[in-house]
Amino acid sequence: MFRTALLRSARSAVRAAPRCQAAMARPVARTAFFQPKPMTPSVYCQAVRCYAASAGLSQEEVLGRIMDLLKNFDKVQDTSKLNLESHFHNDLGLDSLDTVEVVMAIEEEFSIEIPDKEADAIHSVKQAVDYIVAQPDAH
Amino acid sequence: MARLSGLQKDVLSLYRQCLRAVKLKPNDTQSHFRDFARSEFHKHRDVGKKDFGTIEYLLRRGRNQLESYSDSGIRDIRR
Repeated sequence: MFRTALLRSARSAVRAAPRCQAAMARPVARTAFFQPKPMTPSVYCQAVRCYAASAGLSQEEVLGRIMDLLKNFDKVQDTSKLNLESHFHNDLGLDSLDTVEVVMAIEEEFSIEIPDKEADAIHSVKQAVDYIVAQPDAH
Repeated sequence: MARLSGLQKDVLSLYRQCLRAVKLKPNDTQSHFRDFARSEFHKHRDVGKKDFGTIEYLLRRGRNQLESYSDSGIRDIRR
């Protein structure tokens, strides 16, 4: 009796799971475009995603924040060369010490800590953006 | 940028440690400590890449300096 109840609830949970996961995986930006969706599933999922759902930074947002940070960095003289493809050394004229400072400023901006090994591998705006987007706890 | 040698990585790692140590200082003097760390590293930026003896000496000296300036009793730095 108890076991059948357990099985039944497990089954219904499994049935419910893919639906709510699909909704959780949906990027934040896209939800804005699909406003007139049936309300019930999103309300149903709201209870689920309260605590565990990550902020999910979009690439554009990360890029914008890194750009602002670089614009305010006193060693970057030529801000006209600043774009997603800029290389810290070749395009922005930063030396390796300045690169360390930029990466540390990025750490502070997104409140994460980048281990030395990975920090040494970041040499361009694109690499930094990709790294931050891949970090689940960056915000 | 070319791949970094082990010694270059040590220097950058020390620089990173110094900048992290700056954040433990009082808010109003952090910029003094940051400028000091910056100038100390930039002072020797022209040391040859192959000048291992000098670099190792400077690294050792930098580590000692970091240790002594990390003391929480030191609240400000002036030059």
